[in-house]
Amino acid sequence: MPYVTELKMAVGRMVAVRNATAVVVLLSVFSAGKCNEQVPLMMWSSNGFPLPSQSAPLAGASVSSRQLQSYLSTALSSTPQNVLLFLQDKLSVDDFTMYGGVFGNKQDSAFPNLEVALQSSSSSLLLPSVSSLASVALPSLLQEQMDTAPLYLDPETLAQLRLNASLPALLIFRLPYSSGADMMSTKEVLSGNDEVIGQVLNIMNGQSVPYTAVYTAFRPSRVMAEQPMAALSAGGRSLLQSRQKDPADPYPPVEFKERGSSCILLWAENLTISHFHSGKWQRHDLAPRTFGEGVSPDLEGSFCNRTHSRLVLNYENVLMYRSFKLIFEMSQRHYKVSARGWFSLDLVKLEYDGKRASFNGSRSIYAPVEFSYHCDSVTSFLYPQLVPFSSKDNANDWRLFFDDFQIQGFNVTGKDFSYASDCAGFFSPGIWMGLLTSLLLVLVLTYGLHMVMRLHTMDRFDDPKGPAISVPQTE
Amino acid sequence: LLVAWMMNGHAILYTGVTAAFWTTILVVGICYTIFDLGFRFDVAWFLTETSPFMWANLGIGLAISLSVVGAAWGIYITGSSIIGGGVKAPRIKTKNLVSIIFCEAVAIYGIIMAIVISNMAENFSGTTPETIGARNYQAGYSMFGAGLTVGFSNLFCGICVGIVGSGAALADAQNASLFVKILIVEIFGSAIGLFGVIVAILQTSKVKMGE
Repeated sequence: MPYVTELKMAVGRMVAVRNATAVVVLLSVFSAGKCNEQVPLMMWSSNGFPLPSQSAPLAGASVSSRQLQSYLSTALSSTPQNVLLFLQDKLSVDDFTMYGGVFGNKQDSAFPNLEVALQSSSSSLLLPSVSSLASVALPSLLQEQMDTAPLYLDPETLAQLRLNASLPALLIFRLPYSSGADMMSTKEVLSGNDEVIGQVLNIMNGQSVPYTAVYTAFRPSRVMAEQPMAALSAGGRSLLQSRQKDPADPYPPVEFKERGSSCILLWAENLTISHFHSGKWQRHDLAPRTFGEGVSPDLEGSFCNRTHSRLVLNYENVLMYRSFKLIFEMSQRHYKVSARGWFSLDLVKLEYDGKRASFNGSRSIYAPVEFSYHCDSVTSFLYPQLVPFSSKDNANDWRLFFDDFQIQGFNVTGKDFSYASDCAGFFSPGIWMGLLTSLLLVLVLTYGLHMVMRLHTMDRFDDPKGPAISVPQTE
Repeated sequence: LLVAWMMNGHAILYTGVTAAFWTTILVVGICYTIFDLGFRFDVAWFLTETSPFMWANLGIGLAISLSVVGAAWGIYITGSSIIGGGVKAPRIKTKNLVSIIFCEAVAIYGIIMAIVISNMAENFSGTTPETIGARNYQAGYSMFGAGLTVGFSNLFCGICVGIVGSGAALADAQNASLFVKILIVEIFGSAIGLFGVIVAILQTSKVKMGE
């Protein structure tokens, strides 16, 4: 396998190289390809002309255009000026893993000539992860470095060329890549490319022309998609706060500002209300009118002061009602025993055409006053956190459903929620019950073990020097 | 000396378990404090969210098991003494069985209370603290308390009667007239188990689990 020896990087750059860097940076900005794709790059020189050793890039770090520039300038400062650039359409380190015979099956390797070349060269530079923008700009980089025009060739054309060891020459060989559905064709293509490399190197050796060779690609052949954090299936527990369904929440919360500063924040993924009317339940989805990028619901009637906050969401033509209001009333006070202030969502009121329905939420929707309250599901129906104010209240004909609900009514700074005190704690009641019972049983076990370990064989009458006890068989 | 003490298997086990326990508590407490999540440590939440059935059944289990531990311990102590003393003085065998019976009574108290308490467990359909209702919580905690009461009383009663009975057997082997006097001591020892049963019955007298 190729190895890279350590050496301190050369200091100082020529002005021309700095200008070239600017050109290269501009080129890489406009060139096609995503920034986060990496391709490997191999560089070796013919026998007798070692590359100056340079410090390898850190494991996992991707080499950028500027770094590649510096690697190349250092490498080409003392190596032959005939550069062979093998540019494949696509290449990844995975190709070497899959087709390089690395699992003990060297005879199946698709890169025999490449391996021989790397092993027989006196030194090589191996960069496993070069940004694809840099590799795409490689011809122009080398062109700037060596100040010659590139020649696009294939082995037949090269055989007819007369190369001079002292004149700089940049010879580029384009190699194809196919990632067809059946893997054999990819392996054949790679073997074919390796054959081309072998032929070119043989020609160069035959003409006794020292060379520097670079093998890389425009794009990676395999790109690993970033996996989003898996949301657990329904029924599994998960950290509700850190659910990564959307890494950045797509829309900001409903924000009520009093005198310019944010006072109340409300966010939910879904908001549905159901009304029991003329014998059946009718549903209405209010989320599109309340939440979303660029959606600003009417918050008239909201207010907040030091101890009370009220958020009023005004709608028109909801179900069969002309005017419809959804009101959240929160209050906070200081509690002496816990020595901190707590806020609670006291009432969720619906006012529709003069009638009103109230839900009481203070039993379960509360949090310390510095924090916000978050719960995965706030409903008045299933494991209800909102309970009708009384059994005769109109709220008994309504059902509210909030999904992924978060609210903060006090101590709001800016448009981000404070730390969310979640309705689901770390240990559920079942876990606590299990722990308690297990602890009790472990104590019992410990005591039992203690007793058993104190049993000793009686040795009071043992006499090691006396005669052994004999138990006669007969009477 | 410290090294010799530490080489003891018991010492290693107990120091290890104790250290693990206190370390866990310390680390959890420090984490709660550092992250200002002390409000999450809520004993009331624990008491209202855990099911009354757990408490009731723990009480029933403890009632019978602790009583049986006490009885077994007493019988083993007395029994070994009777058997040992009976080698040289066989006349003590029959009379001293009454000590064994006193110990066994303790186990009987335990099982009777366990059956009485378990008959009070009824089904209820609430799932939240409000719907479960105060009476069901009271039932659960009372059953737990009663089980503890009778269990621990019988545990120590059994040990006490056992040790006294053992002394009675050995004294009887020496001098037959001592036995009756020592029996008085045993009776006093046995009464404390009865106290436990009485208090447990009082605790569960107002239990009414169910809807």
